[in-house]
Amino acid sequence: MVEPGFAAQLAQDLEPEDIRLVLGVFHQDVERLTGVLDGNAAAADVGDFRRTCHALAGAAGAVGAVALEQAARTAMTNGDLLPAQLPAIAAEIRTQAAAALADMAAFLAALPQG
Amino acid sequence: MSVSSPARVLVVEDTPTQAELARVLLEGLGHEVRIATAAAPALAAARSWQPDAIVLDIELPDYNGLELMKRMAAEGIDAAIIVLTANASMNLAVEAMRGGAVDFIAKPYPRARLSVTLTNVLEKRALERESSRLKQANDALTSRLETLDRRRFHGFIGASPRMQAVYRTIESVAASRASVFITGESGTGKELAAEAVHKASPRAGQPFVALNCGAIPRDLLESEVFGHVKGAFTGATADRPGAAKLADSGTLFLDEIAEMPLEMQVKLLRFVQTGTFSAVGSGKVEKVDVRFVCATNRDPLLEVQAGRFREDLYYRLYVVPVELPPLRERGEDVLLIARHFLTVYTREEHRRFRGFSAEAERRLLAYSWPGNVRQLQNVVRNIVVLHDAERVEAEMLPVLLHRAVLAPVAAPPPMTAPPVAELPVAELPVAAPPVAEPPVAVSAAAAPEPVVYVQPAPPPVRAAAEPPPLPTLPPVPEEDVVMPLAVMERRLINAALRRTGNDVPRAAALLEVNPSTIYRKLQAWRSEGSAA
Repeated sequence: MVEPGFAAQLAQDLEPEDIRLVLGVFHQDVERLTGVLDGNAAAADVGDFRRTCHALAGAAGAVGAVALEQAARTAMTNGDLLPAQLPAIAAEIRTQAAAALADMAAFLAALPQG
Repeated sequence: MSVSSPARVLVVEDTPTQAELARVLLEGLGHEVRIATAAAPALAAARSWQPDAIVLDIELPDYNGLELMKRMAAEGIDAAIIVLTANASMNLAVEAMRGGAVDFIAKPYPRARLSVTLTNVLEKRALERESSRLKQANDALTSRLETLDRRRFHGFIGASPRMQAVYRTIESVAASRASVFITGESGTGKELAAEAVHKASPRAGQPFVALNCGAIPRDLLESEVFGHVKGAFTGATADRPGAAKLADSGTLFLDEIAEMPLEMQVKLLRFVQTGTFSAVGSGKVEKVDVRFVCATNRDPLLEVQAGRFREDLYYRLYVVPVELPPLRERGEDVLLIARHFLTVYTREEHRRFRGFSAEAERRLLAYSWPGNVRQLQNVVRNIVVLHDAERVEAEMLPVLLHRAVLAPVAAPPPMTAPPVAELPVAELPVAAPPVAEPPVAVSAAAAPEPVVYVQPAPPPVRAAAEPPPLPTLPPVPEEDVVMPLAVMERRLINAALRRTGNDVPRAAALLEVNPSTIYRKLQAWRSEGSAA
């Protein structure tokens, strides 16, 4: 879910047009990175999986998608991550990503038309 | 760049959302933004675009931001770096600060935080640049001032405007091959100036050969300049190179050039014109490359007009004139030089002197120093030899200087032709072989041995806190009598010789001139007497 405080901060700092621009990039990032994450899990590549989680956490953090950021960061910092665990973790992150995108869509819909 | 003006900001961020957010925020603040998504393109952009600030993520796909900072520093890229870091990476932020980052921002960040941080780092950078620019300007001005207001120059000591002009002329002419003609009263440092021309020139590593034309008997002068071969004359038992040969590719300094006999001037003219000469007794023509520096304490043009110096030689040699001012026209240089000699002789003589009293300095400044730096050197040496105290007091100064304060001592006459003989010379001592005057070295090393004045028993050294009364001054004889200076000069020399039993060195010490000066005068008067 998009953190209300940071969403408010975005609304305060940026014009609606710019918010749409940033969140549009976020949307592309999430779709691209979750796809990459699935590929990393299928390949059982723990190193790349962590790196993708780092990018996803950064993108989510930038727009206040706290739950998605936490899920990605937890996976990124888990020192005991095993290749077999990767598909399940990727699925969980994808769920959080879908929720973040849904919240984002609601947030955008509430923005005044520019 | 002022802080309020738009800055160039390079955002180095591999996550598109973060990069876009930074771009939108920075452009909203009025800045020009470029984005690099990896370290290598960031380094290229930093080189080519020269941003004012770089907003840098540490985690990058090719190599990390810390390494990028090192590489930028190595290339001299001086953009202000702000590191972006997640809250969990504070240690990394500290490491980045140690590596040269100016500030850091934890992600996520609001626009206000970015704005304040960026404003601060740009302001700091602008101040650093201004400071650097001012330092450079200051260095340039200091360098310029040192050129304009130097206290020392190749052995000279003096900060007066007259000496600054001398230093500039020497520097300007040094690189050239042009002949330099130095004029100035005895004791003003003509040989030192000649050495300065040589040392400041591209010939500095080559020989500097000095020849005092006034100190060499005329029948030996040609041999001294051009050398001789074995058997050229009685006593020429072996080939001997002359100054011309020894100075090849260096500098030949002909001191007291106006004393050179006319027949020798013809030979010198040929040498100056062609660079070729023949040693005495040899038919072989030799060619050398020498730079000529000449000096005289006479007015060379007057010597030409009087027929004692060839006009063609004058125009060959008088290319760049350097006029050394008399000490009386050098203001507080007197004190600079006096303090220098005091330090040198105090060390040599194991005394305690640290400086001059205000009254002593006033008297040094008031005196006209007809013997110039050499005389001042002798006076200081005299004081150091005869006294010992923390400070040179006025009563330690020679009587002449006390007289100067009461009645200003007349400056010596301007450079003139030799005096006309009027007085009998029968009682004068036979001229001894002339002695070359030592250079008026004012460098700390190897100061020439000056004459120590013989004067009445020195007054006892007293405590500085209680200045003693001035000694009783002898009356100045015949102050109102006016006569030609040449006549007065001859009378004074005769009187000094009578008082010393015709001892020329002691007479010279009394008159505060070099013995060679008296020998030359005696020789001139004798010649004029025999010619008459």
